Amino acid sequence: MKLNYNWLCEWVEIDMSPEDLASLLCNLGIEVEEVELISSDAIFNLDINPNRPDLLCIQGIAREVAVRTKKELKKTIDFSITEEKESYSQPELRITIESKDDCPRYVASVIGNLKVGPSPLFISERLEKCGIRSINNVVDITNYVLLEIGQPLHAFDYEKVGNEIIIRRAKNGETISTLEEEEKRLSDLDLIIANKSKPIAIAGIMGGELSGINESTNTIVLESAFFKPPLIRKTSRRLNLSTESSYRFERTADIGIQKTASLYAVHLLKKYASGKMINSIIDTNPNPPLSRKVPFSWKRASALIGTPINHKVVLEIFHRLGFQEKGNNDDLTIVTPSFRRDIQIEEDLVEEIARFIGYNNITTRFEYQTGTSVYFEGKEILQIKRLMASLGFYEALNIPFIESSWAKNHRDNPIELKNPMWSDKNLLRTTLLPGLISNIERNLNRGINQVSVFEIGRVFNKAKDEEEMIAATMAGNIPQIWYEEERSIDFYDMKGIVETLLKELHISDFDFSNCRDPFYKKERALALIINNQSAGCFGLLAFNPCKEDIYGFEFKLEQLFLASDKSIQLKKMYRFPPVKRDLSIVLNKETPYERIKDLIKSINNLDIQVNLIDVYKDSSIGKDKKSLTIRLELYHPEKTLTEEEIEKDIENIINRLSKVGAHLRK
Amino acid sequence: MKLDDLKKNAKEDINKATLIKELESVRIKYLGRKGSLTNILHSIGDFPKEDRPLIGQTANKLKREITNLLEEKKKYLEESRALEWEDLSLPGRKTSKGSLHPLTILSQEIIDIFMSMGFSVVRGPEIETEYYNFNALNTPEDHPARDLHDTFYLKDGRLLRTHTSPVQIRTLEKHSPPLRIISPGRCYRVDTFDPTHSPTFVQIEGLWVDYDVSMSDLFGTLELFTKKIFGEGIRTEFLPGYFPFTEPSAEVWIQCPFCDGKGCSVCHSGLIEILGAGMVHPNILKNLGYSEFTGFAFGLGVDRIAMIKYNINDIRLFYQNDIQFLNQFNEIKL
Repeated sequence: MKLNYNWLCEWVEIDMSPEDLASLLCNLGIEVEEVELISSDAIFNLDINPNRPDLLCIQGIAREVAVRTKKELKKTIDFSITEEKESYSQPELRITIESKDDCPRYVASVIGNLKVGPSPLFISERLEKCGIRSINNVVDITNYVLLEIGQPLHAFDYEKVGNEIIIRRAKNGETISTLEEEEKRLSDLDLIIANKSKPIAIAGIMGGELSGINESTNTIVLESAFFKPPLIRKTSRRLNLSTESSYRFERTADIGIQKTASLYAVHLLKKYASGKMINSIIDTNPNPPLSRKVPFSWKRASALIGTPINHKVVLEIFHRLGFQEKGNNDDLTIVTPSFRRDIQIEEDLVEEIARFIGYNNITTRFEYQTGTSVYFEGKEILQIKRLMASLGFYEALNIPFIESSWAKNHRDNPIELKNPMWSDKNLLRTTLLPGLISNIERNLNRGINQVSVFEIGRVFNKAKDEEEMIAATMAGNIPQIWYEEERSIDFYDMKGIVETLLKELHISDFDFSNCRDPFYKKERALALIINNQSAGCFGLLAFNPCKEDIYGFEFKLEQLFLASDKSIQLKKMYRFPPVKRDLSIVLNKETPYERIKDLIKSINNLDIQVNLIDVYKDSSIGKDKKSLTIRLELYHPEKTLTEEEIEKDIENIINRLSKVGAHLRK
Repeated sequence: MKLDDLKKNAKEDINKATLIKELESVRIKYLGRKGSLTNILHSIGDFPKEDRPLIGQTANKLKREITNLLEEKKKYLEESRALEWEDLSLPGRKTSKGSLHPLTILSQEIIDIFMSMGFSVVRGPEIETEYYNFNALNTPEDHPARDLHDTFYLKDGRLLRTHTSPVQIRTLEKHSPPLRIISPGRCYRVDTFDPTHSPTFVQIEGLWVDYDVSMSDLFGTLELFTKKIFGEGIRTEFLPGYFPFTEPSAEVWIQCPFCDGKGCSVCHSGLIEILGAGMVHPNILKNLGYSEFTGFAFGLGVDRIAMIKYNINDIRLFYQNDIQFLNQFNEIKL
């Protein structure tokens, strides 16, 4: 909201600069976003909290300033303006409210003899400083009253409306053409102002084109009402129509001010538009409930603030705010005025005390306590993140919205957003990989040789709602450096990461099997099986916007946590160094190394480590054949093995391997 | 004569030696148990009696001489080996390096601070219901405060949480006070994606419910926090604010680190807002059956604090995952 400094000075004496006033307002919780200094005036751009509609006008801000600076308001709207009828040239106006609940108060007056034309300069200037375009004196006066005392008013052209006004719900399908010449379709959720035949305004939001004021208008019906806030809010949102008026109504108007606002507007219309009242003011609720009673205890208030409070100081603040106390001793009842509908409970009163004492004058307190035990949910995730970083991966955070094309290629049942930010990214991610693939693409395009990124985050699908995953991608070349040749990242880099991850997480009971996830190229990917369930896959990614190969993995975090062996039992250590022997064997190309390793390790009474040190394929050893060089490390718990014993073991191994067609290379 | 030859040969051998172990062979050749000079000294009785003193003297002198030469050469070789030139400016062999995301690093720093103050860490779902995200937090439908949170809705009527406060309700449903918790996590709000806005962000919310928790406790806790995260000298200001789930409500502002509070384009006349907070609205505690308690809650945007702390002027950098950006952050602080 824009606030005009000079206008404010008309209401309350301000003996400080606009900048100091801005700081005073901020300390009261009225955020000043900007102070614009213009010739001999200043415009404040205020951000008013939704619970304080009373501050959406000059009068409201003036009240706060007056309380804070202990001054009296200089101006009050004159209640003594006579209501005398000046002419009866028109028939009476009839107001019908279908539901009092929708419209607890409706004040209408008929003003005739109007000369519609430009506003006096001071009105149009003030309006424009507050960001409202000047239209004509009649419309401007309604806006002027709104800006000054916060009550939205609406003027209808009496001749076009007729002598009956009905406040009712719209019929389903009923339409209205607004002042902005837009046709709006209404329903029975919308409150409207209508005449005998059709809607003439969307209540509290905008008038209809039909009953608008123009140069030929002579007589108006001036509306000053109180509409039920949620009703106005719903309609305003559904029609996507927000106005100065709806903004205030949906935050609650002051039910005590409708008649005053009317009288004030009439006074201005007489003065600046030669208007004459031709009817006594109609008020459907002349005695609205104005005050509210809120219980208050000194003891509870000072306990909530945390420091003792001075009763005299607090009572002075209350009185200046227009609050009256009833009762004595500890339990009081505070009676609050109609413009402070935000004060509903004791805590609201405590906030008023704290605001005017000053938040920064409250003593601060914190004491460390020993013996408090704390629990850290998510600690494991942090540890895995640190592990991934130590393995060379950068942690990424991606926006979890994906295109439908990604989900089409994925087995999961995606969850759709009702109001996506980007219409093409309307699904919640079912996998972390699309984000990580785009991270690879972005970094490779920027000339990074080797990109390794990971993310731990939630993925979403209809079956499980959300599930925490860990995923990583890597691509590019490990560049040449003086001690190493350049080479591209390949499957075994990714497998090494997966194996290290599993080892570091103490997961030993797992298997790798064929990968059936279409996200990966099945010839270069494996599935990780833990407890007969797939925890996810790793390998060469099938969907890839780059020319470089991208390798990746994605696992269910929960499954990794469950499989992680939490107990550590010390294993045997060897005092004697192992005997090392290299074996070069030739076998069928499609016999997996893992098979060979398992065969060797399955030999009883043999403590052995098996390491693959070379893989060789060449026509000299035969088509469909390969050669593996295996380094064996043989241990014995109590002694150094003799030559004889070693020979026996090796022979045993060779025999065992011959069963899968492997033999020593000549 | 024989001794002269021996001397000449020994000198040659010593000169030729380039390795310390070769010197050792030379020593064994001449001075070892079966060395040629040792043999002469042992066989001195074979010489004519009158020659024996001279030969003995000369041989012993030669032994000392060879020993000295060997020592000198050994020293020389040791020194020359140490001085052999190596280009030490070649880059070292490196293992690959990654890093945590700056928002993870800062979240953890914040979590550590609050854990040291007795807060436990709890987590909750990112898909939430209207009830947990709004209604249970005293924000009914058609409340203007809902404007503060532009919400992503799912087709089934649920939503992506707009803050991590729902975790507080979920925790209070399971555990009765007194308790102190913080809930970190990702949140979502409909927003543009520009230098100062993002549809996703990381939030940490805190809650302390106990008998007689007051505004003094709230301000004391948060003042200590800002000092720990921005340094002892930082000035913290508390201003009244508005949140539907707290009453009284407060905003926490700190002295702008970019201009030291003098006023600049980033800040608001020398101050910068970092936190929202307040005393838990009594309706919330009452609905959960904890009327006898009071409490305070606070919420902070990790993205925002990271931007202030690391001098980052574009929030999008957190979600674009440029390695040139990510590799500038390091968790280890000594």
